[in-house]
Amino acid sequence: MKRLMFVLTIIVVFTLALSACATATEAPAATEAPAATEAPVATEAPAASGEAAAEVVAGDTVLPREETLYFNGQQWSAVVCWNPYSSNCNNAMAIAQQDNARTIMFETPYMYNMMDGKVYPLLADGPYAWDEGMTKITFKLNAAAKWSDGSAVTADDVAYTWASHVKYNTGTGAANILYVADIVAVDPQTVEVQAVLGDDGKSINPLLVQAYLSSNYVMQKAWTEALEARAAGDAAAFMADVAEDVVYSGPYGKFFSDDTKVVYIRNDAYWGQDASMWGKLPAPKYLAHIIYKDNAAGTTALAAGEVDVSQQFNSNVQDLWLEQGLPISTYLPEAPYGIGASLPTAFFNTASLGLDNVAVRKAIAMAVDYDTIIANAMTNQSATFTQVPRSLMNPTPGEQAAYDKAAVADLQWAGNDIDGAIALLDEAGVVDTDGDGFRDIDGKKLSYVATCPNGWSDWQAAIEVVAAAGAKIGIEITTQYPEWGVYQTVVTNSPLPAEGYDIFMMWSDGAGPTQPWGRIRKLLSGEFAGTTNNWNGNWSGFDNADANALIDAIPTMTDAAEIKAAYTELVKIYLTEVPSFTLMYRPQAFHTVNESVWTNFPHEGDGTDPAVPPLNLTDGYSVAGLYNLTLVK
Amino acid sequence: MKGYRRYFLNKLLWLLVTALFAFILNFTLPRLMPGDPVAAIVARLAQGMSNSTGMKAVYEQYAEQFGTNKPMITQFVLYVSNVFQGNFGASFSQFPRPVIDILKSSVLWTVSLQFPAIIVGWIIGNILGVLAAYIRKGFDKIVMPVSLFISNLPAFGMAVILLVIFAVDLKWFPTSGGYGFDLIPDFSWRFIWSVIVHYQLPFWSIVLIAIGGQAIGMRSMSIYELNADYVKYARFLGIKDYKIVGYVFRNAMLPQITGLALAIGTMVGGALVAEIIFSYPGLGTTLLSAIQGQDYPLISAVTLIITVMVLLANFAIEIIYGLIDPRIKAAQTD
Repeated sequence: MKRLMFVLTIIVVFTLALSACATATEAPAATEAPAATEAPVATEAPAASGEAAAEVVAGDTVLPREETLYFNGQQWSAVVCWNPYSSNCNNAMAIAQQDNARTIMFETPYMYNMMDGKVYPLLADGPYAWDEGMTKITFKLNAAAKWSDGSAVTADDVAYTWASHVKYNTGTGAANILYVADIVAVDPQTVEVQAVLGDDGKSINPLLVQAYLSSNYVMQKAWTEALEARAAGDAAAFMADVAEDVVYSGPYGKFFSDDTKVVYIRNDAYWGQDASMWGKLPAPKYLAHIIYKDNAAGTTALAAGEVDVSQQFNSNVQDLWLEQGLPISTYLPEAPYGIGASLPTAFFNTASLGLDNVAVRKAIAMAVDYDTIIANAMTNQSATFTQVPRSLMNPTPGEQAAYDKAAVADLQWAGNDIDGAIALLDEAGVVDTDGDGFRDIDGKKLSYVATCPNGWSDWQAAIEVVAAAGAKIGIEITTQYPEWGVYQTVVTNSPLPAEGYDIFMMWSDGAGPTQPWGRIRKLLSGEFAGTTNNWNGNWSGFDNADANALIDAIPTMTDAAEIKAAYTELVKIYLTEVPSFTLMYRPQAFHTVNESVWTNFPHEGDGTDPAVPPLNLTDGYSVAGLYNLTLVK
Repeated sequence: MKGYRRYFLNKLLWLLVTALFAFILNFTLPRLMPGDPVAAIVARLAQGMSNSTGMKAVYEQYAEQFGTNKPMITQFVLYVSNVFQGNFGASFSQFPRPVIDILKSSVLWTVSLQFPAIIVGWIIGNILGVLAAYIRKGFDKIVMPVSLFISNLPAFGMAVILLVIFAVDLKWFPTSGGYGFDLIPDFSWRFIWSVIVHYQLPFWSIVLIAIGGQAIGMRSMSIYELNADYVKYARFLGIKDYKIVGYVFRNAMLPQITGLALAIGTMVGGALVAEIIFSYPGLGTTLLSAIQGQDYPLISAVTLIITVMVLLANFAIEIIYGLIDPRIKAAQTD
């Protein structure tokens, strides 16, 4: 027993020593990511100031608060790669090739601005132009544009980037190969994007071809060749490369990353300070994103002033300034606080008993209390369906003007219309025949499962309201919440299972250069019906010849009235057939700012022209906001 | 000694058999979960990709790369050969990061948080338990209900209470992270101090919960021992109280040691609650997201480590018991 006591004593002493100076064991964290090992950033830094940058990097172990802009809500786990060719790189702040591409490190030829629906040149010089036959787009590159190694951005880089996407079948290549035939360099500054042509000799989809220019990065040809050499021609290795040595053209590059944060440092030789572009450098020297484990931790940090720009859902965001008196604000001072852009939607499994009947689908959609969803699930961070009547459009003024509201007014429902829903069902002969309180079809009770992924709390709250609506109109709706890993496998593969997925939530596109056409296509196009690995939309499998024809025709239409009439007709079809129904409006990105250190963030009526969108100063044209920031003191 | 060798070999044999089955289960169980991890990866790049043929091509590319399209037995053979070369493969959820790299960067944070917390909680809890049993009266009336109360608080409740009181309201400690949000790791005092300060709330949120449970268990064991004949006899002999408490402590703590060994064995699983509430780095949330994302290589690696540690801890305890308590050895070798 004495021996045991001796062993225990040793453990106790060791433990107390360890707990008292935990840093002894934590210290390896420092070796994981010492500033010195990050020094390659310095070599990535522009040739002109490379040595100076190296000194800064080596010496900086504290990020001065007044030189650093802190983010949350974009990066949720440790950054694992810097390779834009990868389809799966999780470097969210640096790499997001999408409708509103993230351009702090890598740049697109154009930037999309959701506020006016236009694109503005970034690497490009002036607007792009289609040829008369609508077969190709031509644009010029800005002569001032440079890579982080100091070399010029050329048309060869643009062409080689596309060729590499195609050669290695990257996500970008696979997504665009049906619409973009080739991209070639006419001369060092001129790029030609050749479209895939239809039977009429014109681009089969001009919208998607021009969207390529604001959605996808230009990569340096020389670096891409070095990557190819490293990968020895193997596509998997090409895309799996972590690309620590990547050359970029944007204003920020890698400074530091570990399991707790990622930090980007300004390239002080950034070409964009040329008078032809921004005319100056972005205000913050560092962009830092702390990796919070959940929304609650992120909100706490925002309130504590440790986050300047918050791209996450902060429940009851108004309490931060109304109740706590903090210098925190959103783009709009009042509800809905942001600009709705996407339409989280409930889809029907039309193979389920009764859901092939449009009266049942519409009755459920009419009975749902959307105001409760918006108040509870979104804490009023969504416009209501009274403010913005339902259609296929998001609440932005541009999209709202895209269809004839008066023509569809009698089809739009605002929700919680129990009497209307009951009348609709009665009229359709869907009644309770056995007196159990639930309506029947062919003697079978209408009983459905409404579902969404477990842990998606705002969606779960919405689904509960959908279920509650069922009880009021004699339809049994229960809820269940599978894990996302299971859920997504089921809903993206047709046919849907007979049970468990009768009414299920998925997303829709937000704001972008192909919208509202892109969103409508993904909500209604029959091309996605009955497919597997379907990550696009139309998960109900809706297939309507009239809708399909309109969706095919719109991209090639040029007459504004004709386009408006087509969109109006599509809205009519959607609200009549009800293959799915929108539950709320959701912003393109949540955008809450704390102005205790930095100020002059994008706000409604801030006087910027063109208006800088509330997209966290990272997405699309919102990157312009980085140049407007000033310190509070 | 011959008897002990037989006892040792017997235990070793069982250790190896258990390890073999655990190894097979570590591989098999995650793969029996419904769902498709490759679909989850494709989902992340689905936004903006508008042709389904391209999407299918990308899906197949990843399925081939991760080997999820191969028969289970082929995957198992590959897994075994890789593990024996110290290669757990690339993580699905953090692709292309190697699993070993994820473990290396997380495990130190986890062990540094968990090991001291478990030990400190165990020691303080046991001391309080034995004192409560011995002194009784006022001390027991306070320690017992307080321990009951604290040990029944959910771990997240304790963490949130500490967070709100000491970080949000009093601002004595930071709200989140493993070190200052404005620091880059180096060997400066500023950084070291920051680590110490950030360590406190996650550490105490674990310790306080552990103390309650340990104190209750130890108190019960001690009361049982205090009524044993040897204690009464010692009192009759006039042996001093602190000496009697020492005897009682030693005898009562045998079951507690088993609990300690198991706690140490499973600590690599991470302090999930503390990690989430305080955004503290570590394996807990990594494992949780691996499970949610069906990251087979990462799940298998972490559970393999936990399995090995639990088995070794159990083995060590059995061997030590065999040494210190001849009754156990005798019973086992009969």
